[in-house]
Amino acid sequence: MYQWKRIVINGIPLLFVCLLIEVLVGQLLLLKEEALLSQLPLFLIAIPVINGVGGNMGSILGAHLASGLHVGSVKISLKDQIMHETVITSILMGIITYAFLSIGIYLIGLFNGLTMNVTLFSFVTTFLSIGILLIGLVSVVSVVTAFISFKKGIDPDDVVAPVVTTIGDSFGILILFLFIGV
Amino acid sequence: MILKQMVKQSLPLLILCGIGGIFTGSILGSMVDIFHRIPGLLVVIPGIIALRGNISTAFGSRLGSAYHLGLINADNMWNDALKQNVLGSLVLSIVVSAAIGLIAYVTTFVFFQQQVNLFFLLGTVLLAGVASGLLLTSFTIGIIYLVFKRGYDPDNITGPALATIGDITTMLCIFASALIMEVIV
Repeated sequence: MYQWKRIVINGIPLLFVCLLIEVLVGQLLLLKEEALLSQLPLFLIAIPVINGVGGNMGSILGAHLASGLHVGSVKISLKDQIMHETVITSILMGIITYAFLSIGIYLIGLFNGLTMNVTLFSFVTTFLSIGILLIGLVSVVSVVTAFISFKKGIDPDDVVAPVVTTIGDSFGILILFLFIGV
Repeated sequence: MILKQMVKQSLPLLILCGIGGIFTGSILGSMVDIFHRIPGLLVVIPGIIALRGNISTAFGSRLGSAYHLGLINADNMWNDALKQNVLGSLVLSIVVSAAIGLIAYVTTFVFFQQQVNLFFLLGTVLLAGVASGLLLTSFTIGIIYLVFKRGYDPDNITGPALATIGDITTMLCIFASALIMEVIV
């Protein structure tokens, strides 16, 4: 069932779109880097973590959905029970991970004198709010792309992971900017 | 049952990968010198890292489905399903790396009015793409083998593990390739 040519043909257009978005987001980050560095250095450390966890959670969810669709245990329906349970578990895992890492980052910041006047409580609540918004979005995108690609006869394994990691990277940064207003 | 397994296998890994993410940032920080010497290089970093991650997580995700479909397992690893997947991922790596090198060349020319050595930039990105592609394909097979042996569900492991290992490997490969190309050119 696997053909290397099909993997390449499925992959190339999507990877190019993802590349374009990633480059644009990278430029945006470069533009705002100075402001972040001088005002909120703690959030600069947080960016790869917020983006990474969002993408990772989405790719776990996507891999499960893709396997479920291939095997036939998950049906293309928004009422699918297994899909619901997998989504809820992924979101819960995401929230726990974000909570744990936000405290870790704050401690690293404290140790390096980067916390400035941000309190632990406000950092953790901001970090968690961004995280919850992001994983909510990633979950929806993950389910929708898995269902649509499978329905169209494209292997969801080829599609969901690139799409959700790109969404994680781009919207992670956009939501962060929205929250801290730089 | 599946959910309990998912939390047990994925949650520690998600946290560990988050910690990995904090360190990846600091590796990038220590490479600042070489970016100053080679203007086009910084532009390609986010793209090449993201694409590397995308190619290998998709690869891992396909192997997860192949496992659930019964096409591959610990006793039956080196079969056509795996070979097609490996070949597909490697070809994607090469094609996409070449494209990134060209995009970097054009963007530095258009946006920064700086002419970088095309041969150098393309060479660095291609070398890094091929090297990290080969390394990550081997890591993927290694991880999949361990996951099968331990009876874990690959879907819980491959995404985060490959994304994190991918980031670190790719960054080191870009760094090493740039150093090698500096010696050659």
